[in-house]
Amino acid sequence: MIKNYIKTAFRSLLKNKGFTVINILGLALGLATCLLIVLYVVDELSYDRYNTKAARIYRVNEDLKLGDNSVKYAVCMPPLAKTLKTEYPFVENAVRLKNAGTSHIKKGNFNISENRIAFADPALFDVFTLPMINGNPSSALAEPNSVVITETTAQKYFNSTNAVGKTLLFNDNTLCKVTGVIKDIPKQSHFNFDFFISMSSFADSRSNEWLRSDYNTYVLLKDASDAKKLEAGFPDLLKKYSGAQMQAELNMSIEAFEKSGSYFRMNLIPLTDIHLHGSLSGELGPNTTTQYIYIFSAIGIFILLIACVNFMNLSTARSSNRAREVGVRKVLGSPRKYLIAQFLTESTLLTFFATLIAFVAAILLLPLFNQLSGKEILITARSLAWILPVLLFIVLFIGALSGSYPAFYLSSFQPVDVLKGKLVAGFKGGRLRSFLVVFQFSISIILIVGTLVVYNQLNYIQTKNLGYNRNQVLIVQNVFELNKQAKIFKQEMKEIPGVINATMTGFLPTSHWSNTAIYYRDASLDQKRSMFPQSWEIDEDYVNTLSMQMTAGRSFSRDMQTDSTGIVINEAAAKFLGFKEPLNKTIYRSLGGKNTIDNVRKYHIVGVVKDFNFNSLRQAVEPVVMTLAENNGALSIRVNTTNLPALLSQIKDKWRNIAPNVQINYSFMDQEFDASYRSEQLTGKVAVVLTSLAILIACLGLFGLAAYAAEQRTKEIGIRKVLGASVSAIAGMLSKDFIKLVFIAILISAPAAWYLMNKWLQGFAYRISIQWWILVLAGVAALFIAVITVSFQSIKAAIANPVDSLKNE
Amino acid sequence: MTIQEAPMIKITNLEKFYRTEEVETIALNKLSIEIATGEFVAIMGPSGCGKSTLLNILGMLDDPDAGSYVFNDIEVAHFTERKRADLRKHNIGFVFQSFNLIDELTVFENVELPLIYTGVAASERVKRVEEVLDKMQIMHRRNHYPQQLSGGQQQRVAIARAVVNKPKLILADEPTGNLDSSNGNDVMELLTDLNEQGTTIIMVTHSEHDARYSHRIIRLLDGQSVMENIMV
Repeated sequence: MIKNYIKTAFRSLLKNKGFTVINILGLALGLATCLLIVLYVVDELSYDRYNTKAARIYRVNEDLKLGDNSVKYAVCMPPLAKTLKTEYPFVENAVRLKNAGTSHIKKGNFNISENRIAFADPALFDVFTLPMINGNPSSALAEPNSVVITETTAQKYFNSTNAVGKTLLFNDNTLCKVTGVIKDIPKQSHFNFDFFISMSSFADSRSNEWLRSDYNTYVLLKDASDAKKLEAGFPDLLKKYSGAQMQAELNMSIEAFEKSGSYFRMNLIPLTDIHLHGSLSGELGPNTTTQYIYIFSAIGIFILLIACVNFMNLSTARSSNRAREVGVRKVLGSPRKYLIAQFLTESTLLTFFATLIAFVAAILLLPLFNQLSGKEILITARSLAWILPVLLFIVLFIGALSGSYPAFYLSSFQPVDVLKGKLVAGFKGGRLRSFLVVFQFSISIILIVGTLVVYNQLNYIQTKNLGYNRNQVLIVQNVFELNKQAKIFKQEMKEIPGVINATMTGFLPTSHWSNTAIYYRDASLDQKRSMFPQSWEIDEDYVNTLSMQMTAGRSFSRDMQTDSTGIVINEAAAKFLGFKEPLNKTIYRSLGGKNTIDNVRKYHIVGVVKDFNFNSLRQAVEPVVMTLAENNGALSIRVNTTNLPALLSQIKDKWRNIAPNVQINYSFMDQEFDASYRSEQLTGKVAVVLTSLAILIACLGLFGLAAYAAEQRTKEIGIRKVLGASVSAIAGMLSKDFIKLVFIAILISAPAAWYLMNKWLQGFAYRISIQWWILVLAGVAALFIAVITVSFQSIKAAIANPVDSLKNE
Repeated sequence: MTIQEAPMIKITNLEKFYRTEEVETIALNKLSIEIATGEFVAIMGPSGCGKSTLLNILGMLDDPDAGSYVFNDIEVAHFTERKRADLRKHNIGFVFQSFNLIDELTVFENVELPLIYTGVAASERVKRVEEVLDKMQIMHRRNHYPQQLSGGQQQRVAIARAVVNKPKLILADEPTGNLDSSNGNDVMELLTDLNEQGTTIIMVTHSEHDARYSHRIIRLLDGQSVMENIMV
């Protein structure tokens, strides 16, 4: 019997090739897209799960509130790890990591600039699962000047993974012995370093200070359930250590500190949550937010729903053509269950082919998708272990779901009614079908609105006046490697024709360098009147080079002797301090330790710079103060040239004259800026592609439905034409029903889209408001697409010769 | 030709109404008819007289609103759909004006269908389908699809399908309505042959010519039998 079902199903599908192709392709497209999204989401959710002890690993975060400033840190005090391990028996181990910034490492005669370097405690390999190919994990990081490198790094420097015992020269002055080679860290890790230098090489790591936070601290608990217990102990721990130091150094009890509205607290974040919830100060790498996971998952579900709706709609629309077959089979004695089985077999078969195509398509599209989304997703045997069962489930579920309507509805027909032609089971009675069309178009419109809003917002970010000009600025990232000669290099740069100006400092709006300090508003050094701004070191050329604007006063000048104690603040800082006339006011910078007047430095305000964005535009501009100091973190060069390559080669020549053994490392400020919005841009791009696909799938469905509607009404069309109806009247009549549905969809989806996108925009401190025209445009676009899709079929039906359609009967 | 004592079909005061929102139409009005085993009966009458309704009730595709329908001594008027279907598939074959072959199935498979539904074993099915195709002289078309056949050939297939289960009764609804006269005559000859081999046949027709093949003509008007002609 099953053979008979499959045979009939096959023939029926082959007979209606157009329908079959539309139906299978639509579903396959939806499934393939959905599969890619699932891979993406699974990849995002799998961060740090390569650690076999992941469930027991937590990172200690710190929340600090000082006056009106609050900061969330991913880093903690230097002695915390050691203390936790000794004081709490259920802390099995604790490990610190500290980003070591950029170093240059000698290979042959050349220095290679490396920036994926960290200091790490010996416990690193006990806590994290970083399999060692060569070396002894328990002792590798014990001795000072030991370094553990990844497989790829070993290949890069020694052409072999057999590197244990060899040495690496850091910054021309520190020789480190390679004590271990580990496998490359999986891409799905919230930190990704190539070099782990033993923490003991770093003197600061032995610091016993409890009032500063700069070490990423991880604990491995004996049991995951101990996390609550550990967190409960934090307040006492802080009181015991930080409180004591506060009393001794600041002459302030922690109670008084908290009474003034300030606090510092610690909490634990599970290792596996860091990637999705960790965008704190001092992260070891860029993380993401769950928001994108939700957005992508929603789009994935939407697309799958649209595709399934299509599938059901087309199947049921078409099934009306098969009412006669059902009638005949029943007259000949077929029990209802046979008919049900037959229709279910057919839809399952269709789903099977669609799934097969989707699977192959997803594999083929994966490289493209990786490029689009910036991921490196691979389909491995492990991922297949869950993908295949899911696909099987999809085949059975969608097959059953989409086959259920024809199966149960058609099989319930009274044969006599069908054969009499009483039931034009089809089109007009399809209230369910109308609902489904409205549903899928509502989703499509929401997606169109979403895409338009995301695009507008990104465009807004990119074109917003940020308070500085990021175009035509070249940044020499490793100018610090020139040491004292950096200043000479800067001077030489300024002399090159085509260079307008140059400024030397690592603190750039695009660089994410961060340095905070405590400033007091007046000599009382009152905690409540303190400010916790970004405190940047700049030179005299900074404001001019970056084309920032002064709203009051002036920037630093070489001609002003007193500028060494001058300070330039931004508007946000001026507002925070509450100065109406900020110029020449004095503010006091805490030098750490006790807050007495001997322990601060005085600065007089020489100018106020117009607010410029240096964080993400998701955040409002924070207070910034800038002092005159030598900082050779980077050299930013404003150029004005039509021949950039020539200018670049001049710059490189000058560099080579000074430092023949160091490679210049440069980038452009606008690229740096774009990089910081990469996740938004990628999301935007992916959203556009997904939306287009969703609309395409919805249209495919509408196209099929329109074709069936026209076919159903062939006779009616013939009669109307015989009676004198024009082609346009008939095309209009056929299109009207669908257009009406799309209109309803617009009415439903516009407010929903407006609401949802407003929520998304709330995440940006600087954002567009959703213009009415976006909603109108989305509606018109959906309508336009629907009209084109439907009228193709309607016109085709309308221009057909009525003689042919009437002869059929 | 012998007519047995107990009739195969006995309907008494059969009534059937069709209701729309405003109008109630009486399709069958206290109709009483008896048909003996082995008879060949033609039902005639103008459009809307209730011919097709009667045929549907006789074929157990539809149930009456009132009255009695005894088929082979069994009262079936109020049988459930399931019971009717069961009785139907073992006893009755249908021939339609528009053939009603399934387009997706070949000639062979169309004819085979009733045997599948009555649970005949596969090897037996092949034998019986071939036998009946042979008899209908369409064996050479066994692997063709209905669309590839002429109207006359399609109706032969339909008749083959109707008789493959060896039903006691064949109900034919204007079997020649879609055929030219030559093909129509062939079909009538086939039905006559079947009748002579013992199958009872009830045929609805508009054609006086076709009706002449029957033993008896029942003429309906407004749901009632107005005249019976016994053919000589």
